Amino acid sequence: MSVLRVTPRTALVLVLASAAALATFTWPFFIPAGPETTARTDEAPLVFLVVLPVLVALVLAELSSGGIDSKALAMLGVLAAVNAALRPLGAGTAGIETVFFLLVLAGRVFGPGFGFLLGSTSLFASALLTAGVGPWLPFQMLAASWIGLGAGLLPARLRGRAEIAVLAGYGVLAAYGYGLLMNLWFWPFSVGADTQLSYVAGAPVLENLHRFAVFTAVTSTFGWDTGRAITTAVAIVLAGPAVLTALRRAARRAAFGAPVIFAAPDPPAAPATVPAGDGASRPEPSPSGVATRARSVVAPRGTPT
Amino acid sequence: MTDRAPVPVGRGPATAVDDRRGPVRWPDRRLPRGLHPGAWWLWALGLATAASHTTNPLGLGLLVAVAALVVVRRRGDAPWALAFRMYLVLGAVIVAMRVVFRIVFGGGQGEHVLVRLPEIPLPEWAAGIRLFGPVAAEQLLGGFQDGLRLAAMLVCLGAANALANPKRLLKAVPGALYAVGTAVVVALSVAPQLVESVLRVRRARRLRGAPGRGVRALRGIALPVLADALDRSLALAAAMDSRGYGRTDAVPAGQRAVTGALVLGGLVGVCAGTYGLLDTTGSDHLGLPMLLAGLVVAVAGMLLAGRRVRRSRYRPDRWRPAELLVAGCGVTAAALTVLAGRVAPELLYPPVSPPTWPELTPLLLLAVAAGAAPAWLAPPPPLARPTRPPVPVSAATTDAARPTTSPAPVTGGHR
Repeated sequence: MSVLRVTPRTALVLVLASAAALATFTWPFFIPAGPETTARTDEAPLVFLVVLPVLVALVLAELSSGGIDSKALAMLGVLAAVNAALRPLGAGTAGIETVFFLLVLAGRVFGPGFGFLLGSTSLFASALLTAGVGPWLPFQMLAASWIGLGAGLLPARLRGRAEIAVLAGYGVLAAYGYGLLMNLWFWPFSVGADTQLSYVAGAPVLENLHRFAVFTAVTSTFGWDTGRAITTAVAIVLAGPAVLTALRRAARRAAFGAPVIFAAPDPPAAPATVPAGDGASRPEPSPSGVATRARSVVAPRGTPT
Repeated sequence: MTDRAPVPVGRGPATAVDDRRGPVRWPDRRLPRGLHPGAWWLWALGLATAASHTTNPLGLGLLVAVAALVVVRRRGDAPWALAFRMYLVLGAVIVAMRVVFRIVFGGGQGEHVLVRLPEIPLPEWAAGIRLFGPVAAEQLLGGFQDGLRLAAMLVCLGAANALANPKRLLKAVPGALYAVGTAVVVALSVAPQLVESVLRVRRARRLRGAPGRGVRALRGIALPVLADALDRSLALAAAMDSRGYGRTDAVPAGQRAVTGALVLGGLVGVCAGTYGLLDTTGSDHLGLPMLLAGLVVAVAGMLLAGRRVRRSRYRPDRWRPAELLVAGCGVTAAALTVLAGRVAPELLYPPVSPPTWPELTPLLLLAVAAGAAPAWLAPPPPLARPTRPPVPVSAATTDAARPTTSPAPVTGGHR
């Protein structure tokens, strides 16, 4: 199921912005050599530092432009809070990363658009809680958003053990991918210009890739990234089934997909009706009529605005 | 820092003298209040810009000291205000990392060789790279200066993190991001409740005689807490609905098409500009302007789309003189540093080979002074727990007692 409808226009914006954003990660591979290269290599990271937050803001605005259901909004906030609370648990210990597991599972249950938003809001809220706002934040937000988006795009049919296996495998991939992207972003900043591990402007892509591979292998792949991948996979395998059940139950109770229509106000007993469908056949009663609230703009007649 | 107390000491005589005429105007200006977070961020970004325009260790050290001074004098006692130390540690780590990288992977350029470490050639897959080898002073100095510049920029951002209230910053997000901002606000307010939820579940488990530790206990606690949080989100959604959250204006189809075209067109421009910036053959002049133009167009589309979100603000933050002054200090510091770089580039970027002792320029000193001014220009921050020294009752004259009683409860509500 998809909580957040991704229209073709939104998808197009997402693709374009992601393409441009990918360049802000990978520019050291492509930066040209030339007489003005030194000036340019100095300014390129700064330009991209300015560009990326704007791109992230654009995508977030576009994703929420259709109007987010208040139930989805509250779910987003609460899950982001759980993620933000989970994140400091692992931050101190080498390679233990506790964020991705819930991000992957929630993206799986609530769909790609929701997963994207959850990745961004989780890291943003976490950064605000720990006062970690800085130039790295948009890059982390985007990488986490891609992870949530990808989890939502996994084949929908799978259930049971196959689903857990696929999710765990995806979690491992995502953990390594996140580590690579973050290293790639930090690469020009961390080693400076003149070491044997620095990127070389104008060199062939393969040579720079080689240097980057050595850099990332030396610094983090075998420690942090592997730890992160193992943590994510183990958490998904151990807690995945139960968490998936809890999330699906919440989704069913919220009845995201149920269309809402207002009946005529005349019969006082039945102010609103939910037509037969996903929402009507659920076992639990919805709390305080959440499922029957309007997601549309129009208030029923007679309501003070 | 006695100035952090709700009643700045320096104000005492002023109110005492002008007890009849002055008490409204002068104390008003210095009442403890949180500054607009945007002002702190502008100031910090100005300092960071200044730091990015020099590698002079003296200048960078002064900028870091200035950031620390302002933080110590003007931070509140909220949790985020205590994170500044972490940024200092992080900055030190960055400097150390740069220097260590130069030693391990340096390649040994430079004339003044300090030590010769044994070389370790790496195996075939990392061809062309060897570890250690001769360590030159120029190399270390270059790494140190580069790292210090990055660390100084980082510390400036840390100062903004410590000084600006993130919750109030969220109020200033543009309308198009209103929904996402609301979700973040929800996250920020729910996160502390999770702790309470964990404690409650643990207590319930103990009452049933289940162990409170171990892996099984973790599972037995985590899942109920998650379920509790999810249920809470539904209740929260109902509350938000009943208070009219998420109301949007109906948008005419034409306007929607215009905003869509602006956003999409801007993004295409951004993609083309990025390509132009990184292209080896294309004309160099097209890349950056196109990138920026694309960004401007797309942002205009976003802002236009955000205008249909109608919201009211409770106690909006306004830009008052203090805010303008603080932000202006940051901009001035940045501008003065850039100017100093034009006047004497060799002093702002001291040459690494041969190593020279760094010197300061008058303009750089002025920039540092401008950066330090908010330590006095900004109003003192509101504190939840006043840390002023105990005032003897007999000595508590009217000028000290009166203002303390009134602002404390009011400013407490700001958080």
